[in-house]
Order: sequence, then structure tokens, then C-alpha cells
Amino acid sequence: MEHTLPNNDRLDAVSFRTPDVVMHSERLGAMHQTRISFVRTLLRKIDKEHWTLSKHLWDLDNDGYGQVIYRLQTPEHVYHLVVFCNQIADEERNDRVIAQKWDVTFALVYGEIGDELLANLKANVPLQEAGRNSNMVMVLARANKSVRVFDHIVSSLAEGQQPDLDVLAQVGYILRTTAVYGNGKFGIYDFKPLDHSEDFNQSFRAQMCAVYLIREFSLDWVDYLAQKKGGDKAVSLHPEIKQYLGIGNATGLGMAPYLINHPCVVDQWLSAREGALQAVLVCDIEDDRNNKIQQLSHLMKRAIQHFSEVVTINEPQILLNSTVVDELNKLQNNFTSEIEGCVTWADFLQRQAYLSFESQEVITSCLMELYPELVDAFAGQANADETMSLPGGKVVQDLIDVLEARYQWAISIDFEAEDNVYWFWYRSEDKEEPRMGVRGQERGDDKEFLLDIGRQANTLYLALQQADPQQLLSEFILKQPKYRSIARRVWTMGHKKMGDIQINVLQKTALPMHLLRCKLSMFGATKFDPRSDRWVRVTLFQGAPLFAEVHSDEWLFPLLPNLSVPKRGLTHDRIA
Amino acid sequence: MIVSHNEIVTMVNKAFLGMQREVGEADLIASMVAELQMAGLNGILHFNNASPFILSERDVAIDIIYQGEGEVRLDLHGSSLVCHLPAVMDYVIEKMGSRNHFKVYLQNCHNRWLAYSELAKLAAKGIACLAKWDNGSAPKHTIFTLDRRFVYPDLYFFNEAQANYNTNDMVIELSTTNFDIEQDIQYFDRKVSTDELYATHQRAWKEGIYVDDGQWATLKKSAAAILVENSEASSKGAGGI
Repeated sequence: MEHTLPNNDRLDAVSFRTPDVVMHSERLGAMHQTRISFVRTLLRKIDKEHWTLSKHLWDLDNDGYGQVIYRLQTPEHVYHLVVFCNQIADEERNDRVIAQKWDVTFALVYGEIGDELLANLKANVPLQEAGRNSNMVMVLARANKSVRVFDHIVSSLAEGQQPDLDVLAQVGYILRTTAVYGNGKFGIYDFKPLDHSEDFNQSFRAQMCAVYLIREFSLDWVDYLAQKKGGDKAVSLHPEIKQYLGIGNATGLGMAPYLINHPCVVDQWLSAREGALQAVLVCDIEDDRNNKIQQLSHLMKRAIQHFSEVVTINEPQILLNSTVVDELNKLQNNFTSEIEGCVTWADFLQRQAYLSFESQEVITSCLMELYPELVDAFAGQANADETMSLPGGKVVQDLIDVLEARYQWAISIDFEAEDNVYWFWYRSEDKEEPRMGVRGQERGDDKEFLLDIGRQANTLYLALQQADPQQLLSEFILKQPKYRSIARRVWTMGHKKMGDIQINVLQKTALPMHLLRCKLSMFGATKFDPRSDRWVRVTLFQGAPLFAEVHSDEWLFPLLPNLSVPKRGLTHDRIA
Repeated sequence: MIVSHNEIVTMVNKAFLGMQREVGEADLIASMVAELQMAGLNGILHFNNASPFILSERDVAIDIIYQGEGEVRLDLHGSSLVCHLPAVMDYVIEKMGSRNHFKVYLQNCHNRWLAYSELAKLAAKGIACLAKWDNGSAPKHTIFTLDRRFVYPDLYFFNEAQANYNTNDMVIELSTTNFDIEQDIQYFDRKVSTDELYATHQRAWKEGIYVDDGQWATLKKSAAAILVENSEASSKGAGGI
């Protein structure tokens, strides 16, 4: 498949990059944080609207167990982050959804916390899925310690020393979330009524906010415990180290069905991202009067350093990261000649189409940083109407046309071939954990979880070809109602800018990791550390300013702090 | 107990998928049930009652018995309305075209209450709707009437059957002007007004949705049908970490 940009004379109004390019699963699996990732837009909002955060309750014992409440004030309303810290045995610490206990459980709560509500939270939040929470809870989540990092930081600080950066670089966080629930899960507040909230009316903003606040807690927590342990000898964690540490997140297969089951949302996210990119790509590069070339070079240097510092145990990811470093180094070395002759940034990006997807997507993230005034407006386009419907007045041929124009990736697959239906997806009795099994070898394919959009589109195409091309679509569906669901989807997504993700999740070599990566990068994750082909650890808010110093400047690609160099403003300014 | 809208949608979705029907759209059915529950009209009870029918009925296409000027009669062969109504409404609106009035007679169907949200959607199309059906049990007759551009209908309940319909049939009339229902509602015994439905719906968003504990437990049990038994091999299917 061709993965290059079309020539400028073939531009359409949507994007320089066609859906076949953008929605290709492998490219989705190479995405990085951008200016319009949710963590970035949240921080700009906090900064611009002067949100405030204070400790409302700090009720922890000397070992750090107990409860803590932070009070978040926005221009519109007040919220509280309620945190419960429990002692658990090492063997109880499990990232998977099937876990029963966690080091930290927390909730972002709408409004004030009275005694009755606090008692209810205390009884239910630590139970997570097994509890029944008040609908004043907007976000319900839990996290486990990175024991190695946590113990090392606390003991170092207690001794009056800063922690060893090499230890921190292995992980990049103190706490790792293993699920962050919003939108009505387990009885909490639905997302829809937040339509009227200026604070949290955008997809996943409440969840991202809860994660940002738990990061604040994790940093306060280690300072508190070091002080308890070391007394007068103890020191606080260095501010630059605090900024370097984010919140970890462990994500498994559970995230993949979301992307398949919410195609309108995914299309909206990717369309907004492409729209923002296009706004940049049409800009003239000009001479360096506007400093953009220098800014881009600076950001790419930072990316090179970031990918040099990232630690992962995953061999393929190690190779991908080192490829990025090599490719971007070469690009940096020839930067002047690479820019030369390019009129627009689209020309420049097109010249880089031979690079790996990872490198190309690093460049798009960097390019989007150059024009905040053009890009940031797209951040408000994260929500989508998820209605999928069939129009009136259309005939069978109209739907065939859509399939042939937008679903070639599906209708060209031979689903008779075993490798193309190798996997089946299902939910386990074990806390409904999504899993994959090998068809014909493992039990459960009779209860297959229908994520097979490619196969369904293919089947629909074959059925339509048997029908009279001029038959009304509504009549065809009335006679063959089993096709209505996929027909609605194909029609709706076939008329969206980016449409469906182009992946056959049943295919033997399909990598769910690509789907996870797509969503996580939209959140704004960094440091992708796959633990298997179905499980990934990332960091959120790594390199982000702390709440007290929140700002709207960029913090792309977190870097290890260099404590031997006096700080000159922000950490990311230290690269010459 | 109090549940969220998303919980109802998720649970009904799973429950319907667990029935492994070829016909019927889980997302739409889930929405039908949730909307009915939010309106205070026992959506989950109706879905639970429908479940045995949905489980046992055959996946057959509905038949067009008669098609005339401005009307159509369809036979659903004992199917639950939830599995077919969205396709029926697509077809009917297309057939209505530029006419001012269209009548649909549905015969041999179950679970007509669950038509509520699909019919209410007509408001967005600027179409007024009048739906009637008789029941074997109380209320013996129900009238659903939706004014053009209203989001919520008025509902009238009768203790006695009114229209000599078969108890497994339903009549739906569509119009570009509002219906004059004075004659139809002369003898109603109870009314739920559009204002009441609106208030109940808004309260449900704000305070959560009340569901009978027993009905919720029944729904949860149905939703568990899609789950696969745990095993050592299955446990590895999540991807080792």
C-alpha cells in the first residue's frame, strides 16, 4: 500500500493524507502526543482559567496509609479528588482488571464532600468495580506503586539525597494507574449531562484531570513519607525531578474494543488531528524570519534525546526507538538541504515519507508545535455525535459505491483463508476481561465478541452484489435485516473524513497494540513500553509542569533533568 | 437502586448480544431500553419480559402483507418489535415520501412498549405520530401521541381494550400535521403527559436512574451469557504481563 502524501495538486479539502494513510493501523500504532492531545489541552485550560488546587484533608499515618482529599476550584465549580491509600501484599499488586486490591484508589467528585458522601466513598472506592458509588463521582480509578521507584525515592530523600536518575529513567513514574473509569461506569456520573459543563464537557477530560491530580498526590506522598522517615535529615524531591515524573498507566486489551465500538469518536479525533496538521502544512516555510525552522530543529533534537533515554524491555520497540534516533539524527545533519527547495511544510513532510512511521509521526508532532495559533483551535473538536444511520432515497448501488471507495481494505480480504480469521475476541467470566483466543483451538468462539468490522463489511458487500443494484436500500434491509447494523456503520463512516480504522482484528498478525497506542497518544501518553503484543505501559504527564507552575507552553518529549546545570527557566529550554 | 444511563446501555447491549440473534441491533435496543427507563416507564422490566421471546423467536425477515396508497401492513411472525422496528421505520418513512399521512399496521409482534424511543425520534424529522395497541393484561389499551417537533409524547392508558385490534398488533400513524385525538382519548383512565416525561427524564440525568433491584439482577444475569468460562489457556488470552 502507498503511504506517501499525495501531490499538492491532488489535495482535497480534508487532508493532505488520505484515510488509507491516516487510518492504516500501523501508522496509528506510531502516533505520539501532540498539542491537541487531551493532557496538553487540559493544562492549557487550567492555566488560562487559573484553576486552583489545595489540600483539603491529609489524614495519613506514618506509613502513608489513610485518606487524602484535594480541593479543585475552577471558575465554574468545585471538585474534590478523594484518595485512599491501603496496605497490600506484594503478590496482590496486579495491573490486570482481575486484580482485587490496589495501593491507591481514588475518585474525582463533583461538588462538596459531606460526611455521608465521604463514608460512602470510603466504603466503595477501594472496592472499585465491586463497589457501588455515588453518582457524584465523576471518575473512579486506582493505581499501584512502582515499588522500586517508590522505595528508592523515599529512602533517598529520607537520607537527604536526591534519587538516582537512572533508576527513575527505568520507569518514569511513582504510581501506575490500571484503570480510570468515567462516563457512568459502576454507577458514577454519566458523561452526557456534562454537556453543560465548561470544565469537563470534553471526552476524557475528567479522567485526565483525575490522573493529573493523582500525580500531584504521588509527589506530595513521597515527600511526606521521606519526612516521616528521615525527620530533619530529609529533603524534598527536586522540582525538576518532580516535573520529570509522570503517572504510569498499564493498558491491556480492554482499550481495543473501545476504538472499534466508537468509530465516530475515533474519526473525530483523527480528523481533528489531521485538520490541525493540515493548517500547519499549508504554511510557507519562508526564510527563518519567523524562527520556525530553528524551532523545529530544536524540537527534533529533543525528540532524539527523548528516544535515546527511553527505557523499554520490548525488543521491537527498542528497535523502533533506535531507528527514530538514527533517522532523525541524519535528518538533523542534513537539515538545511532537506528544507531547501521546500515551499510549504507539506513539501518538507512529503520529503520525509521514506522514513519509518515512528519518525514521520514525531515530525508531525513537532510541526504542530510551531503554530499554536493555528493548531489549538482544533483541540475543541474532540466530541462526536455517535449516531450511525442509513439515509432515505438510496439504492443498493449507492452502498456498494461507498464500500468500494472506502472499504477496499475490508472487501479485498479473503475471509475464507484461516489466517484472516485466526483470532476470536471474547469477554471472560473473570471480571469481564477482554481476551483473544485462537479459533478452533480454544473455547469461546461461540460467544465471539463482534469486533470483526472488516469481515462484516466484506459479507455485506457480497450480499449487496447479489441484490438488484437499483433496489431501495430500505427494502433490501427490510428483507435482510441482519445487515442493517453494518450497513449503518459503512454508510456513516464511509461519509466521514477519516472513517473506520483499517484493521482486521481477526488476522493472525494483527497487533492490538496499534489500537492501544492510537488512543493513548490521543490522551497524550509518552514512553511507550510494550510488555507483550497486548499490553503496554506508558506515562501520562511526564515532563508536564506541576499544578503550582502550570503553564501553556509546550512540554513535548520529556527529558531526564540535568541537575548539575543551574536551571534556566523550564527544563525543556536546557538544550542549546 | 440507582444506575447510570451508560450502565443500562452497556448491560442491555451485552444481554442482547448474549442472545446471539442475527436480527436486531444491540446498540439501538440498548438505547430503546435506556430511554424508556429514563422516562420512568420500566424499560428494563419490558426488556426482561421480552428476553424469552427474543431468545426463542426465529431470525426471519418480516413480510409485506399489503401495500396500498399511504399504508402498509407488515407481518412480524411473532417477533419482538425491538429487532425490527428501526428497519421498519426506515422503510415506512421512505414510503411516506411527500405524503401528509401514512399508516402502518404491524401484526404478530411483541414488546411494543419498547417502540417508545424509536417513535420519539420522529420528532427530529418533524413528523407527528400516533401509535395504538391493545394488551392482554392491564393497561388493556395504550395510545402514544407525539406532536411535531416535540421531544416527548403524551401517553394515555385505558383499562378496557378500545379498538378491536389483536393483542399482538400495533398501529402506527405518521403525519406532517398534529393528530386530532379528542375522539381517541375520550375514555382514558390515566395519562402521562409530555411535561411529566420531560421532568422525569431530566431528573434521571441529574440524580441517576431508578431501577428495581430484582429487575437489575435479572438483566445482569442475561448479560452474563456472553461471558466465557475462565481457564488457564483463557487467562493467557489477555496477554501476559
